[in-house]
Amino acid sequence: MDPVTLAVVRGGIEQIADEMDLHLIHAALSPIISETNDCANGFFHPDTGETIAQGGYGLPQFLANMQFTVQRLIAIAAGQGGFRPGDIWIVNDPYISGTHLNDIVMVSPYFVDGKLFALFANTGHWMDLGGSAPGGWVPRATEIYHEGITIPPLRLYAEGVRNDAVVAMLTANSRMPDQLLGDMAAMTNVFAVGRRGFDMLVERYGVTVLSDCVAEMLVRSEAEMRSYIADIPDGRYVFDDFFDNDGVSDVRLPIRLAVTVTGDSLEFDFTGTAPAARGPMNIADCTTRSMCFVALKHLFPDVPVNGGVFRPVRFVIPEGSILAAQRPRPVGGTTDVTQRVVAMVFGALGHAIPEIAPAAAFGTTGVVTVSGSRPDNGNYYVAVYPYPGGYGASRQSDGLVNGTPPGSMAKFMSIEMSEHRYPVRFGYYRIREGSGGAGARRGGCGTEYGIEMLADTLVSVLGDQVDSPPFGAMGGGAAAGNAIRFTLRGQDWVPPMRSKAEKVACQAGDMVHLASPGGGGFGLPAEREPGAVIADLNAGIIDAATARDTYGVKGEVDRLVLDRPVYKRPRQELV
Amino acid sequence: MSSVVGIDVGGTFTDLVYSADGAAVTGVLKVPSTPQDPSLGLIDALGAAGIDVASLDMILHGTTIATNAVIERRGAHCALVTTEGFRDVLELGRRDRHSMYGLTGTQAPLIPRERRWEVAGRMDHQGRELVSLDEAYLERLAAGLAGEAVEAIVIAFLHSYANPAHEQRAKAIFERANPEWEVVASSDVVREYYEFERTSTAAVQGYLQPLVSRYATSLKGRLADLGFGRETLVMQSNGGLIPLARLGNHAANIVRSGPAAGVMAAARIAGEAGFDHVITGDMGGTSYDVAVVVKGEPRIAETTELDFRVPLRLPMIDVHTIGAGGGSIAYVDRGGMLQVGPRSAGAFPGPVCFGRGGTEPTVTDANAVLGRINADAPIGLKHLDRLAVEEARAAMAALGRPLGLDVEETAQAILTIVNARMARRTRLLTVERGLDPRDFVLVVFGGAGPLHGSSIMREVGIRTMLLPPHPGVLCALGCMVADLRYDMSRTIERPLGELDDAAVGEMLRQQREDGEERLAASGTRLEAVSHQHIAEMSYAGQIHPLRVAIDGSATLGDMERLFEQAYALEYGNTLGPIAKVLVSLKTTSHGLRRRAGAGTGGPRPAAQAVPVAHREVYFAGWVRTPIYRRETLGPGATFTGPAIIEQADTTTVLEPGLHARVDDHGNILVEAQ
Repeated sequence: MDPVTLAVVRGGIEQIADEMDLHLIHAALSPIISETNDCANGFFHPDTGETIAQGGYGLPQFLANMQFTVQRLIAIAAGQGGFRPGDIWIVNDPYISGTHLNDIVMVSPYFVDGKLFALFANTGHWMDLGGSAPGGWVPRATEIYHEGITIPPLRLYAEGVRNDAVVAMLTANSRMPDQLLGDMAAMTNVFAVGRRGFDMLVERYGVTVLSDCVAEMLVRSEAEMRSYIADIPDGRYVFDDFFDNDGVSDVRLPIRLAVTVTGDSLEFDFTGTAPAARGPMNIADCTTRSMCFVALKHLFPDVPVNGGVFRPVRFVIPEGSILAAQRPRPVGGTTDVTQRVVAMVFGALGHAIPEIAPAAAFGTTGVVTVSGSRPDNGNYYVAVYPYPGGYGASRQSDGLVNGTPPGSMAKFMSIEMSEHRYPVRFGYYRIREGSGGAGARRGGCGTEYGIEMLADTLVSVLGDQVDSPPFGAMGGGAAAGNAIRFTLRGQDWVPPMRSKAEKVACQAGDMVHLASPGGGGFGLPAEREPGAVIADLNAGIIDAATARDTYGVKGEVDRLVLDRPVYKRPRQELV
Repeated sequence: MSSVVGIDVGGTFTDLVYSADGAAVTGVLKVPSTPQDPSLGLIDALGAAGIDVASLDMILHGTTIATNAVIERRGAHCALVTTEGFRDVLELGRRDRHSMYGLTGTQAPLIPRERRWEVAGRMDHQGRELVSLDEAYLERLAAGLAGEAVEAIVIAFLHSYANPAHEQRAKAIFERANPEWEVVASSDVVREYYEFERTSTAAVQGYLQPLVSRYATSLKGRLADLGFGRETLVMQSNGGLIPLARLGNHAANIVRSGPAAGVMAAARIAGEAGFDHVITGDMGGTSYDVAVVVKGEPRIAETTELDFRVPLRLPMIDVHTIGAGGGSIAYVDRGGMLQVGPRSAGAFPGPVCFGRGGTEPTVTDANAVLGRINADAPIGLKHLDRLAVEEARAAMAALGRPLGLDVEETAQAILTIVNARMARRTRLLTVERGLDPRDFVLVVFGGAGPLHGSSIMREVGIRTMLLPPHPGVLCALGCMVADLRYDMSRTIERPLGELDDAAVGEMLRQQREDGEERLAASGTRLEAVSHQHIAEMSYAGQIHPLRVAIDGSATLGDMERLFEQAYALEYGNTLGPIAKVLVSLKTTSHGLRRRAGAGTGGPRPAAQAVPVAHREVYFAGWVRTPIYRRETLGPGATFTGPAIIEQADTTTVLEPGLHARVDDHGNILVEAQ
């Protein structure tokens, strides 16, 4: 294979996927797609379904998820007459296409001279597909039917003709039919961008060279992944953790991962993980696999995104467990369960490669939804506020504050824009002091924010990690766990499930207070550079007792007072 | 006619362009920059050019001091005063991380937490006061801070764009407490919502203001010492000029003024040559900057990330950068794929052929090995007379061995790959906005741009490339040709149905008036003043608004119609009955100067293109290639590739099969056929 053609073709294909990402992000109506990039675009091998390339702007959580979806769809389509030009398949069945019902996957075949050359796929988060709570986050769901409607794999477009009956069914079942139509159009239109790009590549290089390049890209990526795995010492590395509860019964859900490294191969074995929960803290197996790759990509960011990377990795995920749930188990907690899979991989591989693996980042997306009708115009709305939180410290650095969950790149909505759009008012949005894990490198702090309701609203929270906070590494301390509190009619109230609450009826003046976990610390706190401890103290990131007791600072310790009404000078030196 | 100089103070070089008559370029010059005191380098450049400063009519100036101060965190000690509960907005940002993959790394906010303070007082999103401002506390805080090493106070309250009264009162308190302080209110800097972006912009302003004010004062003094008392104008990142005297109030506006100047110059030169759709490509030692000009107007970005979690929400020319430059390092990755950049050999040790200890082969080494640059006449290097080509060949051989490529093939592969990367970024810029790159002319500049322009042009499918007469100093030239410019903006964020024509008309009128006042206050002689209005609009629920050009008398009906047209153009369809929202109204006021011609000048040599020499250059095989001197190529001269054109500030490669023609302005126009 000519190395230059290979490099140029690979770049060209990745470019088309990037263009599709940008096009979809700009055209979508759903703020979750347009503001938080909750989408992905990719190309897949027509026979094996392996990823050829995926756009660089979509969310990490879809990294491998689409490949597994496409692989299943190939078999399903074969049973229904195969792929035909102009077809667009649609599916949101989580047991097939992963994540949750709100993530719609579309797949469209790409033909060259009448022969199937590749499958194009995209994913986008639609705001509402029915279910018992707006937006599909139903913390007390016990069946997937509570979370919305399932779209089995079917042709939304058959040979270029849209199935309007299906569209009518979908809009009739959504609280936000206009948005749904806009997002559907954005997703179906973007395939044309991909076809244009591939037409140009085919014209320039011809089908044979292009096919050879695609095959070689997979081989090269596999080799690259294997070289990283080979650098990890052989062995079996085990990590245990648990979820608070499933939102329905207050019982812990254990999760266990054993990573076995053998030469240049890896095995992820989740044997010992809890059976599927009654509540929504479940995910489908392809989502679990995808998140393991997300974790690997966080550890080895230079690895390209294609199916070759997935070849050296095997999985054992017990069927019917919370990580391989089956119908009709609810899966709305995917936003939370997925993040913890990443932490599990860090925890296990941290035993093997502590130089590279950071301590745990906050592992709960803690989705807060506020919904209702606007008092001024009666329009229905759903506001979504997913947690920011602290990242784990690493050999290289302290942890970041206000990170986005490891599987996401979604931003937090502007507070001012929020107050324009929804009848809410933020009381505060600030660093959660003292919440980062202690260590030679300190974990990033969590974030805390309070939202006051200005009208009757329903507030739901779907999170975790109250009882099992993000862990430290190499002697570093754990971070503070999640904390959620409501103020209802002047009374403080903590939901019985602590990290989960469904459709809490709020009135004007009520508030929800959210405090996200920080990240774990790395290395022994006593080894932290004294100057860094003092700086944290002056910034109010740690308190005097922590400086003294945890970090071993001697002498008088005086914390800077930033609060009203007194101005007080920062303490510059200590000891 | 008046004599003018344009000067661009970059990180490494200070470039100067001089015009004795204000029209034709009399001379160009490059001298090393003086980062300790950038005004010194500027004075040096004037001296080295032998210009009688006292007789100059005007000095036009671009600078990187602001950019560098942010990146290197060398700005002022600021205090930030925020609404109670929101002290950390500046540090928290809006939930993100450094890059999509990799969870390590932290951040350094421009104003650290121990210097961020909260005060009671609250407006709602309509600008109604919910909680009155605790002025007594602000008085105590101001008194306390007066004893601290604080140079600037930044005030950023929630919803101040809707009602700036609290910010203005707080500002007055701090100004009274210490007249030495620079006091910045966020709503004075950007009258738009998005609290993090507005706070960050105000913080950048406060962070830079003392430094930039000192610079302005020092430069004015030095120029006065030389007898210069006339106008000095400084380039802003929106592509417009601002008087030196007003620089202190607009410090944040001059971030990235150099790249903006380059784009302005490229746009102007292309316009004079008859092209109004332009892609500009500026390739230097470490990066490739690309921008798009549509109908003569450089595209503007509303928000630019200066650094991780340091957004600047001011209109800036939309310049995209990738790590591809002469110093970009080539390597073989773990999958056996050849990669180029973004890691750079930098100025030290630099490419292998610079002979300063570099061992990893770079793009410049590939150009040297293939004979594309003249090894016997290194540009910008004083420490050696001849490039270390043999060492570069050895490095190429080592890189190519595992790939089964020989020295020349390896070097060629490096160029192909780096050119493809630049071409992809170039393409992405156009197609993501629904533009067809084939409708554009490519203007390449920067020290390395003309070496690679031919390939980028072919790869992107651009038909014509324009090489300006002085590609190496184009940013300095850009300063010379720009106009004065001020931008006004105001968030509305209301459905069209809730607005009326009279109120919208009044807002636009106020913005025009504001612009005219600022232009008048600049004290600059202007030929004319013009205003352009933009309505930012979206469908209800959308996050990304579209910019729609409107005229000053536009009705809401006009806006609705124009928005639908723009939306259909961008996305191929409209969304029917969904309500449309007017997100903001923006006005740009230009003060048009009588200005220098951009590209003309110099003696006019014969039209016949005559090579000064030939040498072996590798184009998929060694080819005896004609070498031209740029100054001998006059209007009407034509020649075909392969060819090399050498001049003091850069080297141009004309790939085989390309045709070149010198136009009446001295530009070389390159076409595929």
